[in-house]
Amino acid sequence: MITLSDIPRRGGSPFTWPMGLFLAGLATAPLWLAPIGLYQYLGVEIAIWILFALGFNLLFGYIGLHSFGHGAYLGIGAYAFGLFQKNVDVSLWGGLGAAVLAATLAGALVGACLSHRRGIYFALMSIGFGQLFWFSAIKLRHITGGEDGLLGIPRPDLVIGGWRFDLNDNAAFYWFVAAITGLVTLVLWRLANAPFGRVLQAIRQNETRASFVGYDVWRYKWATFTLSAAVAGLAGGLFAMAQQSAYPDVMSLHQSGLIVMMVLVGGGLVSFWGPVLGVLLYFIARDVLGGLTETWLLWYGLMFVVMVMVRPEGVAGLLQGLRRRPDGRPAPLGKA
Amino acid sequence: MLALLPHIVNGLTLGLLFALIALGFMLIVGVMEVINLAHGSLFTLGAYLALSTIGADWFAGTGFGSWWLGLPVAARYVVALALGPLLAGAAGLLLELCLRPTYGKAPLYGLLLTFGAALVIEEVIRLVWGTGEQHLPIPAGIDGAFLLGGLIFSTYKFFAAGFSIVAILGVWLFLERTPYGAIIKAGAHDSEMVRALGYDLSKLRLLVFGFGAALAGLAGVIMAPIWGLRPHLGIDVVIPAFLIIVIGGVGSFWGAVIAAILVGLAVGVTGAYAPAWSLLSMYVLLVLVLGFRSRGLLGRKSALEN
Repeated sequence: MITLSDIPRRGGSPFTWPMGLFLAGLATAPLWLAPIGLYQYLGVEIAIWILFALGFNLLFGYIGLHSFGHGAYLGIGAYAFGLFQKNVDVSLWGGLGAAVLAATLAGALVGACLSHRRGIYFALMSIGFGQLFWFSAIKLRHITGGEDGLLGIPRPDLVIGGWRFDLNDNAAFYWFVAAITGLVTLVLWRLANAPFGRVLQAIRQNETRASFVGYDVWRYKWATFTLSAAVAGLAGGLFAMAQQSAYPDVMSLHQSGLIVMMVLVGGGLVSFWGPVLGVLLYFIARDVLGGLTETWLLWYGLMFVVMVMVRPEGVAGLLQGLRRRPDGRPAPLGKA
Repeated sequence: MLALLPHIVNGLTLGLLFALIALGFMLIVGVMEVINLAHGSLFTLGAYLALSTIGADWFAGTGFGSWWLGLPVAARYVVALALGPLLAGAAGLLLELCLRPTYGKAPLYGLLLTFGAALVIEEVIRLVWGTGEQHLPIPAGIDGAFLLGGLIFSTYKFFAAGFSIVAILGVWLFLERTPYGAIIKAGAHDSEMVRALGYDLSKLRLLVFGFGAALAGLAGVIMAPIWGLRPHLGIDVVIPAFLIIVIGGVGSFWGAVIAAILVGLAVGVTGAYAPAWSLLSMYVLLVLVLGFRSRGLLGRKSALEN
């Protein structure tokens, strides 16, 4: 567990060694993905899911609200991006803006209904709302295209000053996604390590006490929910570009559960970087195990079950275990 | 109003079926405060095991197999109706053993573990029985349809609804009128005192979970002829089950039954006007009920709120 005393009051510089490692990995991925036998598109997928997972973990790991319906906001972002391209204008920033806006609005609305709940009741209600969105996406056939979803969503060109980049090229698209993911990661890290992040953790540890200290718990919960929905929406917009389609499947309980699994397996409960490890592990499992056996999901599920049983702190918790100080106390996690 | 009557009848039968689905889920949540997300998968597993029992999948080649397949469907169906839930219950026992490290921790871990277990069970089903849709045979006596007041009703649905009433009453009698039920309820109420009185709590939890899983399997066998059998059926089942528990209030037996019937009626009546949206009505019901009563219709305070 992250304890309050482990976190410095002010985060200081975000450029710690894990951040350096992360940004370096993100920036150099196209150079080594192909040589180690993987493919370019995998990098895009991983970067988008890392974005989604890091935003989700603010809610899941930091404030301790266990949402099982978060895929809905990814889906809303994807649909908003697609609908903007089809009905308004073929525009990159307009589409991404619409994706973030739509997911933020949905998140703010649902967050307002959920923020006075805690524990399992929050989880159950989040499933309920997630299913509501998923079901609507399937049934509003004339808007969302039903079960097939929106197909043929274009990837508009990126224009910076006088330069124009064609994002239909997967390499160029990767750089674009990686830049956004890197930037948002910096912002989220700064937030998590600011007084704001401290309050979130105080709420997770003891909500009643946090409210007695004078924090408006409801507003913090609502703000965190909305923020993580907004990040999910951005990830959703990018996802719609990557897949060049938006479909209800990403909003299903299955997908929402997968992101919870990824974050937990990686160790989102104990570290800011847990979700990154979790996403990497999932996609490695999918591609490496998936290459060996059809039933890779069975093995991934078994691994997850064993992990919850013996080490719910996830991979990040394992790594921290290795870094214990000689006196047996865990190393400070503030910047890790 | 008269035009609505068949939809109300349909809604009521559907409600009773929903109650049967929620029964095992409710038992586990009420007594052990574990949200068993694997409930739907155990339901599906029970149904598939019954299918294999009737079809003699694994022993068709043996002498016993050919004798077995010579028996009438009704006899095989009755055996499958017992064997499917029993084996699902056995899987539940195994799952409870895996759950043990999560007791005493946040309820999230139980939820996560059963979610993982649901994934594993679903994959196992895919592996063993394939991904295609299958059909569970039923005896001729309860198959077909009958006319009532100029309308056609499915005989099997009425059999299933009647079966649900028997199962609901059976579980209620077990909980309320037997010493075992008293111990189980006491365990839900104050586990420390039950332990102090000398009852083996871990054995109790094991049995309750197994019983809940067996009820899930039983619901699976009963529902399979109506809903069809596919590996990802579990998710369609666990969602209504949990909705019903939340609407009815965690820990309340009759709350869940009332909620199930309300959900059934809502789905049935919406089905009359907007069939495409009928499943959505249960979420609307959830939001409405929880908007006014945050613990559901008859809910009590529970440890799950922390």
